[in-house]
Amino acid sequence: QSLEECPLDEDEDAFQALGEEDEDIDQFNDDTFGAGAVDDDWQEAHERLAELEDKGVRSRDPDGPVGNDGDVLGDPEDALAERLTRLVIEGDLEDPAIMQAVHTRGPTQPGALNSSIWDSSAVLQRIRGPLLAQEMPSVSVLDYALPQRPPQAREEERDPSERALPRRSSSPIIGSPPVRAIPIGTPPKQAAIPNFNQQILCPKPVHIRATMQQRYPAPYGERMSPNQLCNVPNSSLLGHPFPHSVSPVLTHLQRAQLLGGAQVKPLPAGRMSPSQFARVSGLVGSPLPSVNPKLLQGRVGQMMPPAGGFRAFFGAPPAPPPSQLPHPPGPGSHLRPQMFRPDTTHLHPQHRRLLHQRQQQNRNQHRSLNGSGGDRGGHRSSHQEQICKDPYANLMLQREKDWVSKIQMMQLQSTDPYLDDYYYQNYFQKLEKLAAAEEVHRDGPKKERTKLITPQVAKLEHTYKPVQFEGSLGKLTVSSVNNPRKMIDAVVTSRSEDDETKEKQVRDKRRQTLVTIEKTYSLLLDVEDYERRYLLSLEGERPALMGERKQKICDMYDNLRGKAPGQDRLSDDHFMQIMCIRKGKRLVARILPFLSPEQAAEVLMATARNLPFLIKKDAQDEVLPCLLRPFSHVLYHLPLGTVTSLVQQLTNLPQSAAAPTNLHLTAVLQNKFGLSLLYLVLSRGEELQSSDTNTEPIQDNQWTELMLMATRELLRIPQGALAKPMSIPSNLISLFSRYVDQQKLNLLETKL
Amino acid sequence: EKHLVLLRDGRTLIGYLRSIDQFANLVLHQTVERIHVGKKYGDIPRGIFVVRGENVVLLGEIDLEKESDTPLQQVSIEEILEEQRVELQAKQESERLKVQALKERGLSVPRADTLDEY
Repeated sequence: QSLEECPLDEDEDAFQALGEEDEDIDQFNDDTFGAGAVDDDWQEAHERLAELEDKGVRSRDPDGPVGNDGDVLGDPEDALAERLTRLVIEGDLEDPAIMQAVHTRGPTQPGALNSSIWDSSAVLQRIRGPLLAQEMPSVSVLDYALPQRPPQAREEERDPSERALPRRSSSPIIGSPPVRAIPIGTPPKQAAIPNFNQQILCPKPVHIRATMQQRYPAPYGERMSPNQLCNVPNSSLLGHPFPHSVSPVLTHLQRAQLLGGAQVKPLPAGRMSPSQFARVSGLVGSPLPSVNPKLLQGRVGQMMPPAGGFRAFFGAPPAPPPSQLPHPPGPGSHLRPQMFRPDTTHLHPQHRRLLHQRQQQNRNQHRSLNGSGGDRGGHRSSHQEQICKDPYANLMLQREKDWVSKIQMMQLQSTDPYLDDYYYQNYFQKLEKLAAAEEVHRDGPKKERTKLITPQVAKLEHTYKPVQFEGSLGKLTVSSVNNPRKMIDAVVTSRSEDDETKEKQVRDKRRQTLVTIEKTYSLLLDVEDYERRYLLSLEGERPALMGERKQKICDMYDNLRGKAPGQDRLSDDHFMQIMCIRKGKRLVARILPFLSPEQAAEVLMATARNLPFLIKKDAQDEVLPCLLRPFSHVLYHLPLGTVTSLVQQLTNLPQSAAAPTNLHLTAVLQNKFGLSLLYLVLSRGEELQSSDTNTEPIQDNQWTELMLMATRELLRIPQGALAKPMSIPSNLISLFSRYVDQQKLNLLETKL
Repeated sequence: EKHLVLLRDGRTLIGYLRSIDQFANLVLHQTVERIHVGKKYGDIPRGIFVVRGENVVLLGEIDLEKESDTPLQQVSIEEILEEQRVELQAKQESERLKVQALKERGLSVPRADTLDEY
């Protein structure tokens, strides 16, 4: 208690590491001296167990008290045994069954089993000493002493771990992310499985004391399912240093289990039994194979669910063990489906399916090996061979594997996949669309694409506020990940020098254009995203979304044209600047679909008007053709008048008499984009002409004139100079046929 | 189930994967380092490997059936090491010539950063 009174965490400790350490230290202190360990009970328990041990010893091996044999074991082995037993005991401490069995061992020993199952008592005795010695620090020592408190057993186990939690929550480390007593990097402990289900976000193992146990997976060469355990002989697994010390422990446990019988509490018994009975069955005839206390512990979490199944099994009073031997594979295999169902919800369904398939296969294998009634020895030996071939298989428990994959899935969690992983999402959407489209045609079996389904976490709004203390003067100056501090003041200063050189001016103007382009691009991306947001949003929000979208579109257009409300919008200058830049052209191409017809027409006109200039500037980039498609879309909606003026712009006709050659038109015709655009416009005009019956005569006349002039020009230009257009609309011929006679028409045809 | 690991320095290891962790640190058992030169390859048995995750480029499972039908020819260790040495020499020679040629033209290839091993 004294230690508890100096809680270091109440100090406003700015050093988080220290804070963590202190918590750990407090925990450990608690366990050893404080409420975690109860001295009195330990002593009592020790006495009792020592008594029993003596009795047992005397019944089997009259010579050699416990003490002597303790020296027979070399010192290193002793230490090893200690650690081992600590491992085992701590793992199954809550099992009152064991302890009860220990209590009742004396009177109810089935004699038949003794000789075959129990190892040399001497070895067993060697273990007793260290075993008892290790019971000291554990909480669940209480269970030894007080068998009627099994319900509390688990609470006790959880309690020290839970104790860590309140401590943390009552005094948070200031301004920092939640502190972990054990870094995330440590593999899972006993209680890991329930934790997974509860706390998806942090696979934090809660039981601190269990850290020590984790040192031991490595030395164990064997991680087997309980059924497999049946078949492993002792000799094949040498390669780790614990041949002797290990087995007696298990026999002790085994014995406990067997004798525990009817009074066993179902749940903890559940934990023990598969391995127990596996060992029992395996032991007939052969000495015990290597222990797997880790396995026992490992199965703890997984075994909790099948408690019910075991209840029935254990309800039967301890029938003579030999008769129980045929049973283990039965309930064992019955159990296995329940045991080996770790949390796979985070895996993709296909993945999960494969996993389960594999498990099924394994199960079937085992069943066929163990389930058959006859010649079990033979089967076992073949299985034995299999294990012999690869004694190092399954070094990682399924639990550990799940843990690693859990960590990696955690990294993939995202509240907004479209924000975090935009390209991936889009890519897969496109793929799916393709697949769907294909399927419509083929109507065949769908090729399943494995798609990673990442856990989706709901977005939690945290407005983090640094901790403030009342009554204190001033604020704490602690900056952390959640509360960053401003380090530098970066201020933008604009230059307003009058005597800037022309170059600088040009450069600045270009820079400004670039900035405009970037801003408009962001708007464009937002607008393009609105469709998706629209689908995701609620009904009430939708009008607001639409409004936002419209506003953004207007902004975009203004940006394009050069927002100058007072100014008469005749200057194309701004637009031209944008169009000179490659990105600007692409931007315009993407914006066009969103603009209203009038706005789009404006854009088209501006483009057409300045086309030669643009062509010249585009010589290097050659991006203009990208505009063709959106332009054609726009064209479909244009009325004849607009089209006429477009042609006018494009061809720069009628021209003044002074200019003998139509440079504008020439340039247009010699450029791929220009020519294609011209053709498109012409074809559109033709469409309108032919389809629309009640066009205004004025427009008609204009059109006709233009066409006449255009055809004349076209004829004049030598064929070689004509560029290769991207697409030739089909109705051009009919168009021209209206205005020219046959001969010229042929000429035109050849040119086209 | 054998696995093949490719490391950042270009080595190929083949072994039984025993353990992993979230950093992709690997524990390989009965590892064999396989050196490929042209169509020949040689295996050097190495034992147990613990590989730090950051040096792993890729890891894949070897299909034991397909392992046997490869067009590659296995040769002894000495031979493959010899081949490797020869190949390395040839590469260095060509590199040297290249650098010289560029130097003559007044160009220089910037030296690769020591961190980039490939």
